[in-house]
Amino acid sequence: MSMYIDPHIHLVSRTTDDYEAMQKAGIVATIEPAFWLGQPRTEVGSFKDYFSTLVGWERFRASQFGIVHYCTMGLNSKEANNIALAEQVMELLPLYVGKEGVVAIGEIGYDDQTEAEDRFYREQLELAKEVDLPVLIHTPHRDKKKGTYRSMDVAEEHGMDPGWIIVDHNNEETVKEVLDRGYWAGFTIYPHTKMGSERMVEIVKQYGPERIIVNSAADWGISDPLAVPKTADLMRKMGIPEEHVQMVTYRNALTAFSLSGQMDENDWLQAPPIDQTKKLSGNSVLRGGQVPRVEGPADRVEN
Amino acid sequence: MLWLLQKSEKIQSTGSQTAFFLAFSQASRFFDKGMLVLDETEKKEAHQLVEGYEPEFWNVLQTARTYLLLSFPQEKEAWFAAVNQLFETADMHEHQALFAALPLMPFQEDLIDRAIDGCRTNVALIFDAIALNNPYPAKYFPEANWNQMVLKAVFMQRPLYRIQSQDARSNPALAEIARDFAHERWAAGRNVMPELWRLVSPFLNEKYLQDLQKVMSSKDELELAGGALALFNGPSGTGKTVLGKFPTLVSQIESGTITWETVGKEYQKTRV
Ligand SMILES: [Zn+2]
Repeated sequence: MSMYIDPHIHLVSRTTDDYEAMQKAGIVATIEPAFWLGQPRTEVGSFKDYFSTLVGWERFRASQFGIVHYCTMGLNSKEANNIALAEQVMELLPLYVGKEGVVAIGEIGYDDQTEAEDRFYREQLELAKEVDLPVLIHTPHRDKKKGTYRSMDVAEEHGMDPGWIIVDHNNEETVKEVLDRGYWAGFTIYPHTKMGSERMVEIVKQYGPERIIVNSAADWGISDPLAVPKTADLMRKMGIPEEHVQMVTYRNALTAFSLSGQMDENDWLQAPPIDQTKKLSGNSVLRGGQVPRVEGPADRVEN
Repeated sequence: MLWLLQKSEKIQSTGSQTAFFLAFSQASRFFDKGMLVLDETEKKEAHQLVEGYEPEFWNVLQTARTYLLLSFPQEKEAWFAAVNQLFETADMHEHQALFAALPLMPFQEDLIDRAIDGCRTNVALIFDAIALNNPYPAKYFPEANWNQMVLKAVFMQRPLYRIQSQDARSNPALAEIARDFAHERWAAGRNVMPELWRLVSPFLNEKYLQDLQKVMSSKDELELAGGALALFNGPSGTGKTVLGKFPTLVSQIESGTITWETVGKEYQKTRV
């Protein structure tokens, strides 16, 4: 079966059904970028607990379903506009960026392209350089083209290597410039609107598979955690060569984010079998009376 | 190793929180999670250093992290400011290192709430770091919290024989809780982990003897062994009549081929 990586998905908002379906569809690893939660936080403690969840509970929860969970750390552009709070978050970040499985600084960049957003974007580019991590850039949904170009201009101003930057949420209007300038180009498959799987197929046909990365960006809104495997299937159906399919839905993400030194294919290829009995107490992911899913010896006694 | 010594030196001489935090998390880039391999002399030395310290159950990464932790200047206010932050922002393996290191930390009396709170985790790796092979809970936990920890270990099917000073901390309330738990399991048509009867053993009375009689009617070798150990080690004379029918088990207990440890190990290997 084909293996997939979803390099942009907000799993704290997803259910265990999603995890099961993702695992069945072949998703072996996920990257959860630190983002906002749909409404602005008002206390730095909320950021702290959120960041801790990304490296703690959510990673553990994913492991229970046979999925390796990585994350990126950063202050998102929307909440950068609360300057007093943003300054406190910047003080918090050094505690998290060095942790195991943190594969990038992100998602950072512009939303409304304000002065405050610019300030904290730049500060985080410097942080990424300091700790040798790639950067995941969130490009704005409004005034996208200008915002995307500006993100790249500023990154270059700070001496960043485009090969270490994933510019996300691209569309037909931005892709050429992003690829031409040497960046990785992320594409988010949105069901119903914006970038659908069909458009993605066309882009891969036109630009080839080099440095293109497909993701679901599934979160608390209308989104599809199976967008990556579904798009891969559509690409196959539309005659895109298997090797190209694998590059845009697996290999490229691995190559880009493993620049961090924190992501390795062996993390899932040599993972121990899923064993929900071993790691969980009876009252967390498994509720009373549920039979745990166990791969491996079939003579296991559920006790 | 050089990295560790350099970082330790820097943390010690500057007392810098940032240097400490960064080194503590980045230790995972330099050390893996393979278990420490210690010879008998080294084990003995560790036990002499701190009573109950069992680094043979530690991995290399957590050992390195503990080394960094112990390098941070132990001035109370600054120490707690740093270590509280560390606990509050830790990932799974950092939590493991921190909680297992409790018996090596300064200001241990002031860490009781932290340790009790840690037991509320649902991650076995973290729970184990506190509950298993760690002298801290037996030394500091009030009875109610001790009992909650042991019951949770039963619930999570953790190896009870690795909880230190269990017999010394046994108490009638815990025996009662264990019995209730066994009855709940039986009512649901499920088995009871044999090590559970160790909690009941020091307080054998009519009530507990009835339960153990039920255990001794089991067809399961390990359940029989657990029941027999509980009866054998109970207050003198109480278990005699029941045990009379199991001369082989009694002689195996007397010769040391059946112990709580052998039962616990076998249970973990074959039933969990
Ligand atoms: Zn996102």
